[in-house]
Amino acid sequence: MAGGSFTFVMVKAYAQEHIYKHPWERVTSASWRKFADPENKRTLSHILEVDTLNRKLDTLSGKLYTTRALTIHAPGPWFVRKVIGQDICHCVESTVVDAQSKSMQLTTRNVSLQKFIEVEEKIRYDPHPDNPTGWTICRQETSIRIKPLSALASMAEKVEQRCAERFMQNSVKGREVMERICKYLEAESSGMAL
Amino acid sequence: MGAASKRDKKNSSTSTSPCAHLRSAYHNCFNQWYSEKFVKGQWDKEECVSEWQKYRDCLSEHLDDKHLSRFLEAEAAFGSVFQEGKENPVENSSK
Repeated sequence: MAGGSFTFVMVKAYAQEHIYKHPWERVTSASWRKFADPENKRTLSHILEVDTLNRKLDTLSGKLYTTRALTIHAPGPWFVRKVIGQDICHCVESTVVDAQSKSMQLTTRNVSLQKFIEVEEKIRYDPHPDNPTGWTICRQETSIRIKPLSALASMAEKVEQRCAERFMQNSVKGREVMERICKYLEAESSGMAL
Repeated sequence: MGAASKRDKKNSSTSTSPCAHLRSAYHNCFNQWYSEKFVKGQWDKEECVSEWQKYRDCLSEHLDDKHLSRFLEAEAAFGSVFQEGKENPVENSSK
């Protein structure tokens, strides 16, 4: 960012919002279950492995910190494959859940392929201001940065476009899965309340 | 070229991870604790400790190749969400 030199930063950022008509407790519970449920694994088949690397509970503040490792199948078009040479991407997801203030924030970043690309996805779940006990608002921001001077830089636009399309598709699938789990948890809890 | 065979490779319903069972046990315990206690205000006690211990010992043992050390380095580099005094699942990353 030095004055006098032209720094071309290739970043694309996308933001999405979604309202779940379920309480925050149920929606965040669903988020934890998203990748593990066998039926949902077929929908989210791009997620190959999810492992918890670390976790910490602050028993005074009611904050839960978790780090997870995600292995994702991310096939690119042939011209990307030629450059990158692999279809698998490893990511780290860091999560903070504040049970007192009822907020959950996840940040996922790639740890492999960093020579070429930096992807960061942030998701927040908060009670919806219009209906804090009944609804949850999910805000998602994704940024894609192709590393300048990397072998991908010359096809940055194409790669970004493909990434963006893929993320949109995965977001839709993710929401489908979340809604399904929320309905299941809702049925489960009303069954128990007999 | 069969698209079907590509799908089969991706969609293995059984994980190839050697720690898969311990992982499931921990995740099931965690999910239950999260929904029934944590979000309902009971955060005063650490739970699922033995499930976590067994699972992470398995990870330390099996995920010792390029992957675990890379994940942990990345976590440190990202300025981990953890404050000081974080537990590290691997005392020494075995090379």
